Amino acid sequence: MQFEWIMVPYSLLTLFIVVNYGLLLTALMQKIGARVGRRHGIPIWQNYVDLIKNYGIRSSITHGVMFYLGPVFRLTGGVGLLLFVPTLYGSEMFSNLSFAGDLILALYFIFFGSLGMALGAGESGHPHSAIGVSRGLSQVTTAELPFALAVFAIALQYQTLSVTEIVAAQQGSVWNWTLFTNPLAVAAAMLSFLGSMMRPPFDVVLAPQEIPIGPPTEYHSSYLALMQTNRVIFPIAKIVVYMNLFFGGAATWPVFFLKVFLIYFFSLFVGVVFPRFRVEQSVRWFLVWALPLGIAAILVV
Amino acid sequence: MVSPIFIIAGSLGGAFLLGLLRDPWRGASYVISLLVLTFTTWLAGSWLWALSSGAVTPVEILTAGTQPPFAVNLRLGIAEAAMVLLINLTGLLSALYLKDTLFKQGRRAMAVLLIFSMALSGIVMTRDLFNLFVFFELTVISTGGLILLSRDPRALAAGFKYLVASQVVSILMLVGIIFAYHATGSLNLDDMAAASAALLRGGALAFFLVFIAVVAELKVFPANGWALDIYESAHPAFSALVSAAAGSASLVAIDKLLQIGGPAWMDVASIIGIVSFVGANLFALAQRVDRRLLGYSSVAQIGLILFVVGQQDILGERYLFVAGGVLLAHAVGKAGLFWLSGLVAGRDLTAWSALRGNPLLLFAFASFLALLIGLPPFPGFYAKWELVHAIAAHDHLLELALLLFGALVEAGYLYRWFGYAIKREIDHEPIAPSLYKRAVVCVAVLAGWLLAYVWGELSPHDNLLHAVPVLFALAFLALEWLPARVKNALAIAGLLGWFAFSYPAYDPLQLIFALIVLAGGALILLASFHSDGRRLGFYPSAMLMYAGLAMLIVAEDSFNFFAAWESLTIGSYFLILRGRQSEPHALSYLVFSLGGAFLILAGFALAAQGNVQFLLVSLAEVAEPLAPWVFALLAVGFMTKTAAIGLHIWLPGAHAEAETDVSPMVSGILLKAGLFGLFMLLMTMGRQELYGVDLAHVMMWIGALSALLGNLMAAFQEDAKRLLAYSSIGQMGYALFGLAMMNHLGWLMALMFVINHYIYKSMLFLSVGGVAKRTGTRAMYQMGGLITLMPLSFIAVLIGIIAMSGVPPLSGFGGRWIFYNAIMTSEYRLPMILIFVSGPIAFLYLFRLIHSIFLGQLKDEHRRVKEAPFWLVLPQMIYVVCLLVFALAPGLALRRVDAYISNFLPQGALSWEGLTITSEFGYWSPVSIMLIVGVIFVVIFAWLLFVNRRAQKVKQFNIVFAAERPYRPETTHYAWNFYAPYKKALGFLAWPVFERFWAAVTDLLHTLAELLRRIYTGNGQVYAIHLLAFVVVVYLLKEGL
Amino acid sequence: MDLIAMATGFLLILIGLFGALTNRNILRMIVAFAVANTGVNLVLVSVGYMTGRTAPILDSAVPVAEATARVIDPVPQALVLTAIVIGVGVTALMLAYAYRLFKTRGTLDISRYTDLKW
Repeated sequence: MQFEWIMVPYSLLTLFIVVNYGLLLTALMQKIGARVGRRHGIPIWQNYVDLIKNYGIRSSITHGVMFYLGPVFRLTGGVGLLLFVPTLYGSEMFSNLSFAGDLILALYFIFFGSLGMALGAGESGHPHSAIGVSRGLSQVTTAELPFALAVFAIALQYQTLSVTEIVAAQQGSVWNWTLFTNPLAVAAAMLSFLGSMMRPPFDVVLAPQEIPIGPPTEYHSSYLALMQTNRVIFPIAKIVVYMNLFFGGAATWPVFFLKVFLIYFFSLFVGVVFPRFRVEQSVRWFLVWALPLGIAAILVV
Repeated sequence: MVSPIFIIAGSLGGAFLLGLLRDPWRGASYVISLLVLTFTTWLAGSWLWALSSGAVTPVEILTAGTQPPFAVNLRLGIAEAAMVLLINLTGLLSALYLKDTLFKQGRRAMAVLLIFSMALSGIVMTRDLFNLFVFFELTVISTGGLILLSRDPRALAAGFKYLVASQVVSILMLVGIIFAYHATGSLNLDDMAAASAALLRGGALAFFLVFIAVVAELKVFPANGWALDIYESAHPAFSALVSAAAGSASLVAIDKLLQIGGPAWMDVASIIGIVSFVGANLFALAQRVDRRLLGYSSVAQIGLILFVVGQQDILGERYLFVAGGVLLAHAVGKAGLFWLSGLVAGRDLTAWSALRGNPLLLFAFASFLALLIGLPPFPGFYAKWELVHAIAAHDHLLELALLLFGALVEAGYLYRWFGYAIKREIDHEPIAPSLYKRAVVCVAVLAGWLLAYVWGELSPHDNLLHAVPVLFALAFLALEWLPARVKNALAIAGLLGWFAFSYPAYDPLQLIFALIVLAGGALILLASFHSDGRRLGFYPSAMLMYAGLAMLIVAEDSFNFFAAWESLTIGSYFLILRGRQSEPHALSYLVFSLGGAFLILAGFALAAQGNVQFLLVSLAEVAEPLAPWVFALLAVGFMTKTAAIGLHIWLPGAHAEAETDVSPMVSGILLKAGLFGLFMLLMTMGRQELYGVDLAHVMMWIGALSALLGNLMAAFQEDAKRLLAYSSIGQMGYALFGLAMMNHLGWLMALMFVINHYIYKSMLFLSVGGVAKRTGTRAMYQMGGLITLMPLSFIAVLIGIIAMSGVPPLSGFGGRWIFYNAIMTSEYRLPMILIFVSGPIAFLYLFRLIHSIFLGQLKDEHRRVKEAPFWLVLPQMIYVVCLLVFALAPGLALRRVDAYISNFLPQGALSWEGLTITSEFGYWSPVSIMLIVGVIFVVIFAWLLFVNRRAQKVKQFNIVFAAERPYRPETTHYAWNFYAPYKKALGFLAWPVFERFWAAVTDLLHTLAELLRRIYTGNGQVYAIHLLAFVVVVYLLKEGL
Repeated sequence: MDLIAMATGFLLILIGLFGALTNRNILRMIVAFAVANTGVNLVLVSVGYMTGRTAPILDSAVPVAEATARVIDPVPQALVLTAIVIGVGVTALMLAYAYRLFKTRGTLDISRYTDLKW
């Protein structure tokens, strides 16, 4: 596949749909979470309001160049991740820019935003930011591990690293989904998914009651707006990867919306049930419970 | 030609003449002594010249006008001539050295000195057993006299102990001689050799007594307490004579006896020799006194030569080359060191730091040590090469192991001593000003290098002193007076020139390594423009390392490969030793490297099966069951250099403590030597199985473990350079892992790591070095907030860590992408898990590096810090450009190598169509990625600039904080123990298990040495009992065997 | 006869060595070595001795023509002479050492001279 100019408007369209869906979806999840806690929760359009307000704020400060660039890195990471993976299977229109690279590109691009963000937060000089980053990095070392093993397992299973081909191999019947052909890998990956969604029990990185909100402590106004934009794109971009790899992908937007909702809901469901882990606890938890699943997955393929 | 009998007669006549002179005529007496020694030296030299040029044949000298056995006869062949020259030349030089002492003591002392060298020459030349005894006794008596030259009052007791021991020896010898005579009816050695069957049957005990007496004269371990006392307390010039001349003479004597004894007794000599070599070296570990240490070393070296003498049956016609090489190297090196010790006032090893003020003497010290250890280009190197090949070919594996172990211990304590001299506080007492003493030392240095040249010519290999890179490195010794900047320009020109010159001959793999070593080396040297002054010692060492590397990648046979390997090891050792706190680390680097080198030597020797000129490609033809062992030895040897886990403990200190511009050299470039070796090994030998275990699989595990533990330990470092050093362990682990996968992409990935690691590690070491230079600390938590003060260094580190972490769009991602494609076809899956674990851990240390230094809170004491010096920044910026170019177009470097690897592993080559790189499993388009990421980034950035155009820059402490206002950067900068919770969870993996293991090994050796050396109680009678016990034990063992 | 001499010689060697290794007094050690040396010389002579022959001196009593049949082997005799000379030299040297050792330390006990060790 080669680059064509028509890809640009197509990609922007994908982005537009995903941003809007994401704004609504995250608000909905917030609300569900609130209701579980017997609270009323935010209105469903709250994210739009926040975003417009924050982009509109004109009084802002900066701590330096990296601080300024941090949110840019962050959002670039989210948008890039979304666009490097085909959103809808079989659609020329929504294959985005996936010609640039395969699954491995997506896997490693996940870190692009986090890294830039961590650097920006670091320049603010706020200890809470540094503490948050330290926690986040510590947790990610083991949280991402089962996912990496699962990816390796299904790459071996399908003998390809191309996302499109992996989705293609799962078509035909629900029973062709990786979920059923390789349940171990999916189990491992889904545990890993919990670790990357910044929800309990793995939300010690942001830890609102302890280190205000961790890395973004010093960010405000349009910086924060950029990050909020990312916060609606990035989880969906990541879920798209999961969906494509494990749950048969999506050929139409309704299926897409449903599957994304369900996968997202999984992390919410676990999150409202369990209390927060400390870093060393979550590190050990992933090593003890998720890692063996991943190992089993690559051994049985 | 003048008859060689005048060597004996001249000295004897001179001694009598001195007896006739009047006491006050000191000057005349001294001149006569010198003239006599000059005459005998000249005579021996002219005979050596004539014999070696083939002008004359070996001569028999008859006495009393009668044929042997009815009269004593002497013989002078080429070996005898060389020994006599050695003895008389050492005598002459010692006489020069002893000028003051001899003037004080008068003509009698001079006469005794002449008698001493005469007696030793006699031992070498005589062919009569009883005459041998007489010369030995003359040696004893003159030794007894010469010991008294020392100003040390303890020498008196040492001399008496010596006399007691020699009484016992002479009793044994006389009894042996008379019964040997009784059994053969002749005292002539040749007659006895002819009748050896009869002698060994009927008079075995008689032969044993003579043999063991001469062995005892060699002062072999452990029956040698008296000798050690002499070495310690005698005048150094006399100790030089004892070690170099007397030892050599006794060795010739033992050689003569072995002509009678035959193979059975050669074995005995071998065993005594090797025990002596290992034992004395071990005991020397515990020594603090320089001359006693040299004594132990002498005992060990003579033991080694005795071993060689005992191996003459398997060495065949190369016997003289090997024995001569080891012996002459020992004689020159040891005599030189004893003479040097006379210039140093203190007797503790650390007192040699006094040499530091005098580069010439320091060079002499280094040369002597290299002579002793047998490093290239000295004769011992060529000799040991052939010796090891011979004993490996005859499956004497235990001897091989002991030999290499002993040599390693020896190198350990000798270079520890060198480290003291370079690094310890300069001794208050200056070195002796005496000019002629220095001249004597210089003559020894010259002799050493001359021998190096001669042995290079005699060897069947290329003379190392003809190799252009080595000569180039040595040329810097002569250019030391130039300013550092001029030398630096010369060095850069040399590296680039050599690259251009050799360019057409490289194959793609060699080209990659040559680019890194030569062009990359030149690039790092740009940073060296920063140093002013003369920078003594830097350029010879650095260029020696580069010479070794340049020769390594083009080496075609095992000898050249190994010689290059040792050269780069030594060069880099001197380089690392330059760091301010690097004394222990340089030593452990050297010991590990030499240990690895010895394994490589053993591997090559086993593979070659006696063929000393062994092409590297022939490794492919090594047959079972030898092949896997060869593979294992070589692989472990190379992995020592890549700091694989378990063998890694030298690396952090060595890399972290090195100078700013040295760290990138030894990390970015030197580590690649090990990878090159592994490439070579795997390309030739392929997969090997040992007891059913696939060795490549084992290597994969080692690589994966190194990657994991290296990264983990890096995450817990507080010292920026140590962090980078540990990260190298991890990175080399990845490369090792890639190689061990034994598939096309695995190798490509390893190469990618070779290139990437060179670029980003050199860059990071330079930036961190620059920061450390400006802030005066390497502890990261003491820095912080330097981004605005050192923006260029920050950019370099930023690009470096993005590249190293493997995040797109920079070049590190290419390595990860190839890695994933490579593991798809790998046979083993379990080791991958460790690699997967170690990947994200890299983020930990990388973030910590950039955050703790450049982000966070600026400290008050650093508010006026400036950007790093221009010459440190320049190469960093070039690296940034390199990284970007390599990220966009990896094909530039990799495409040809990809095709080249297909010659070995055809499956799985990449397709390089257009901008996209495609493998069997996936695809990747570096340019597109860069463009897409760039466009998205720019668009969002522009948007932010637009909505946020009035952002106001605020001060350091203007941050949101509950209830208090921070005012101290020290308490606000979150940096120390950055990953405390992580340490709680996984810190146990970073416990220094291997450090403790190796520390326990060295402690054990030292404790053993400390305890066991107490058998030398200092009591002369105990020493005599040792001697008798030694005789009895050897006899019992020999009879039992 | 020669066996007795040889046995005596060896006995003297053993006595001498025993004395030298058990007596701490340096002078006694030297004397003991002298005894051992005498023993060695005795052994040397006894090895060269042949029963019923005469001294290897060619004079009117032993004509040159009959020498090989009538005199004993002259070589051991020569060796003994040399060995005695050398022995005297070494003994003298040891005595000189003993003298100087006594002058420096005022003792002749060998076990006191252990400054150099290990």
